[in-house]
Amino acid sequence: MTALTIDRINKRYGNLHILKDISIPIGQGEFVSLLGPSGCGKTTTLRCIAGFERPDTGRILFGERDVTRALPEQRDIGMVFQSYALFPHMTVAENLSFGLEVRKVAPADRQRRIADVLAMVRLEGYDKRYPRELSGGQQQRVALARALVIEPSVLLLDEPLANLDATLRDEMRFFIRDLQQRVGITSIYVTHDQAEAMVMSDKIVVMNAGTISQFGSPREIYERPASQSVAGFIGRSNTISGKIAEALGQDGYKVETPCGSIGATGPAGLSKGAEVKIMIRPENISTRSQAASGHQQGAGAEEAGSGENVLAGSVVNSVYQGSANQLAVKLGSGDRVIVDVNGRNPLEVGEQVALRFAARDTWLLAS
Amino acid sequence: MSAVEAAPRVEGRSNRGSTTWMVVPALVLLIGFFALPYLTIITMSLREASTRAVYGEGFTLAHYTTALGDFYIWGILGRTLLIGATVTVISLLLGYPVAYHLAKSRSRWTSLLYIFVLSPLLVGLVVRTFAWMIILSNNGVANQALQAVGLIDFPLQLMNNSLGVTIALTHVFLPFVILPLLGNLQAISPDLAMASRSLGASRMRTFWKVTLPLSMPGIQAGTILVFVLSISAYVTPAMLGGTGGRTMSVLVVQYLVDNFRWPAGAALAIIMAAVAVIFVGLYLRLTARAMRRLP
Repeated sequence: MTALTIDRINKRYGNLHILKDISIPIGQGEFVSLLGPSGCGKTTTLRCIAGFERPDTGRILFGERDVTRALPEQRDIGMVFQSYALFPHMTVAENLSFGLEVRKVAPADRQRRIADVLAMVRLEGYDKRYPRELSGGQQQRVALARALVIEPSVLLLDEPLANLDATLRDEMRFFIRDLQQRVGITSIYVTHDQAEAMVMSDKIVVMNAGTISQFGSPREIYERPASQSVAGFIGRSNTISGKIAEALGQDGYKVETPCGSIGATGPAGLSKGAEVKIMIRPENISTRSQAASGHQQGAGAEEAGSGENVLAGSVVNSVYQGSANQLAVKLGSGDRVIVDVNGRNPLEVGEQVALRFAARDTWLLAS
Repeated sequence: MSAVEAAPRVEGRSNRGSTTWMVVPALVLLIGFFALPYLTIITMSLREASTRAVYGEGFTLAHYTTALGDFYIWGILGRTLLIGATVTVISLLLGYPVAYHLAKSRSRWTSLLYIFVLSPLLVGLVVRTFAWMIILSNNGVANQALQAVGLIDFPLQLMNNSLGVTIALTHVFLPFVILPLLGNLQAISPDLAMASRSLGASRMRTFWKVTLPLSMPGIQAGTILVFVLSISAYVTPAMLGGTGGRTMSVLVVQYLVDNFRWPAGAALAIIMAAVAVIFVGLYLRLTARAMRRLP
């Protein structure tokens, strides 16, 4: 069932086209992240859902109800802000009570619901504190509690973790995700942090310059990015340019590159001769010292029929990162490839290496 | 968790002493031009009257007892406070929406509105007051317009009374309530109002429950400024007040300059200052209650 439908909304400020035909269907209880660089339109989209902006065209539906023209206070939303936006002149309990009073909840009910939600965000005993007496993480939990205590139909979160330090941010990701799943509330989360979106979301909407670059699960977006910009924005990636030489079945291709012929996976329907980029994630490449591998230097790429590709290159840089070593390898074609290798098995700069990766771990992007 | 964690507190600056000398210039100015003259006036108010010098030899409380026993002076004192209170309330009612709009607006016309707000202060006091005389007099612009439209048959008494003084003082002191409020309102995060709306509160409820309580410091500062300036204004009530709108400061100057009663005039000035301090003190206590929950 669709809890929230964003249907072809457009927004302009003067000559700036901020949102271009944005459509997002969001299922009941789903956690959807709007991800993109600043100015991509993700915050404007959220504000349209909240009712603080009105789209020029298009519709927004909560369930079956068209809320496009409804005021924010008529929408039944809970919202969490980057600045927390707690009322500084009210205690924690009064902040939580605010939305309940508007809804004319009876005082006894109010107290019970406030106690429940404070327990949920692990802030029992803080009800008489003022926001200024709390740490950033505690304030953000109060903000979350204030949005949840009114039991809204949609929870909107606008970069809620951006003001927290790194350790707390990691903790809060799981805290919010866990809470969201326990409550089962449909949530929309705006962030520019791809790691945050990856670990928290059921679905991610990657936005760029007012359009949706890709809408899908974290796995789809990471492994099957729709474009070079998505691949570049989500995690690290390598690309090797080439031309489709031959299509093999539904999504298999043989790609002709300066390094030789490479077996790759890609979206269906790429035509022969099309310019493509082969994307390979650094963690999907294994390395072996050239001496041990037994391959000839500069040898061709694909091992016939195996789906495994082997490329030769030389190590030009090695960075120790604790859990892994990040190598930069220069291929015969001059392309540089980033590879993650086990930190205990160091390869020296200048060493000849064979890079091995499976065709199914690659993805073709249109150039 | 049984005990709640202590929230981190910002440590005070340890080298506080090194900035003490910075207050010296202002302190010298205050002592030289405020404390000392006030002491002189207080002493003068306790001297006997004299016809040959500004004041006589001996000390007396007679000027105070006479003034406090005089209903005429009580009346003028009451009128002064009433004008001050009226100007303050009207300025706040007119100024708050302007400050609110200026704080929210991102239009390019905002700077023009700023100039409008400050315009009363850009015109000389006497010129401005003459302009009000032209407008408010019996055959002035306002009365002629009202008669031309047919709303009135005889001119309204718009000056030489409290009304004219109130109108003109409101005009000139409006910026003093708008500017502190504007600074206050701009410092309130717009996220707070959005949070309130997202929780289901209407614009009106958001204003009463969130914006207004948080703007109390600006209201307090602005209203005190306007009240103190209004009750101590001289030129405007002197030119527009006539006898019907005579205020304490006009009376004091009359005592000193026209009647040459320096000790009695000084006593009036001290009474006025004491009353002002009492009223502002009471007002501060009252508003502090409304602000006790603010950070």
